Amino acid sequence: MIGLHGRGGLFEFWSFRMLLASLVRRNLTLKYKRSLLGFVWTLMNPLLSMAVLVVVFSTIVRLPVERYWAFLLSGYFAWTFVIQMLSTGTYVFREHSGLRRSVAFPNDVLVYGAAGARLVEFLAELVLVVAVLAVFHHGELPASLLFLPALVALQVLLAVGIALPLATLSVSYNDVEHALPIVLSMLFYVSPVFYPASMVPPQLQALYFANPLAGLLTMYHAVLYEGIFPAPGLFALTAGLVAAITTLGYVIYHRQRALLPEIG
Amino acid sequence: MKRFIHYEQRAASLREVFIRKVLRRTVPSRRPSFWLRDFSLDVAPGEAVGLVGDNGSGKSTVLRLIAGVYTPTSGTIETRGRLAAVIELGVGFHPDLTGAENVEQYAAVMGLSRAELRERFDQIVEFSGIGEYVHEPVKYYSSGMHVRLAFSVAVAVQPSIFLVDETTAVGDQDFREQCITFIRQYVAGGGTLVAVSHDLPILRALCHRAVWLDGGETRMVGPVNEVLDAYEHARGPTAE
Repeated sequence: MIGLHGRGGLFEFWSFRMLLASLVRRNLTLKYKRSLLGFVWTLMNPLLSMAVLVVVFSTIVRLPVERYWAFLLSGYFAWTFVIQMLSTGTYVFREHSGLRRSVAFPNDVLVYGAAGARLVEFLAELVLVVAVLAVFHHGELPASLLFLPALVALQVLLAVGIALPLATLSVSYNDVEHALPIVLSMLFYVSPVFYPASMVPPQLQALYFANPLAGLLTMYHAVLYEGIFPAPGLFALTAGLVAAITTLGYVIYHRQRALLPEIG
Repeated sequence: MKRFIHYEQRAASLREVFIRKVLRRTVPSRRPSFWLRDFSLDVAPGEAVGLVGDNGSGKSTVLRLIAGVYTPTSGTIETRGRLAAVIELGVGFHPDLTGAENVEQYAAVMGLSRAELRERFDQIVEFSGIGEYVHEPVKYYSSGMHVRLAFSVAVAVQPSIFLVDETTAVGDQDFREQCITFIRQYVAGGGTLVAVSHDLPILRALCHRAVWLDGGETRMVGPVNEVLDAYEHARGPTAE
């Protein structure tokens, strides 16, 4: 056997899986260590932001959306998952630079480890969201919930597919870290976070859904808020976009990965 | 050969990329670039090789190349068997995690399975001599304790190739002796060692051969005493 060289697929699959599991545990341990309220804090931030949005868009700027809070709730956690992963991407390699410079291992596992830990939290959030919507909005569990696993998978792929090249580029360029908050605040307005995509004028729809987040969040609205299965066309389009982005992201990482440890 | 493209040459900001790619002009770099040139070394199982040279001569670069952390610009590196390296102090331990939690993480990166770790955990704690502190956050550790823990995990990997960089220097006398005893047994048992140290007496005691690096070039390779004598002689009588 040729040793644990980080140059290719030589790092065996099982080692990779173990390292991934260990990173997920580590990230969760770190986050909830010495924090009495733990998960409450994780929920608090999005809940407070949502409370503000609910007040603004159902009493001041009145959006024609019935039970606005339920609409907002159905997509908001997926939105925060994606943007938090992108921010994580800008520092995750730097955070582990000591480890990356002393042991050869596939560095991309750090991004997956961050995503895995975030996914555990997201699934807990999702259970709460489904429960709240079932009790106070639908009065039942709609069949459309069966579609959730596909949406979660798409969401994780999208988040990782962007976070990985961001992580790669932010090792060389500090600009990534500076530019991301600006991009994210723009993304907030061009994605259906606080308004439904159906409000976008028809002539702009094609352009609008070129943003895979638009498709993803709209499908969450369909499944969780409307209780219907998403349009197959929209699913196909979004899945295609996510596949393209993830492939591109991996290629960017793959081309740079040999140089990553020496840059820092 | 290992040539480092300088961070500066790689462009630290988009402004520099713009200047380079769009205006097709070079961004002047005042920093020198470091090359490790014409390096060649064969280490047999059961052999211990020491790397000596002044700061910045390329010793750690060689270790990182062997460890697979760096990729050579040209040439090849071949290793057989499990490899363990203690290259950077603290090896990326997280200050808020306990010793035990960091051990788990580090072991996983080194490719130790959970079953193997469970089996060897007590042994790691014992070798480190850290005792009950292993359940305390690493931020309360002294630098010596950091090294003890990192070294102990590397030992627990039971590597066929062991790369050590300078670390024993931070440990106290007891730990140094313990490490030296371990390395002696390890090499006698057929293990391969590549060690970097400025502690020449230790290298003399542990290594069969030595390589003297100077500014990225190999000045001398040979039996440990010959190389170290030449190195000491070149550095003048005040050295060591």
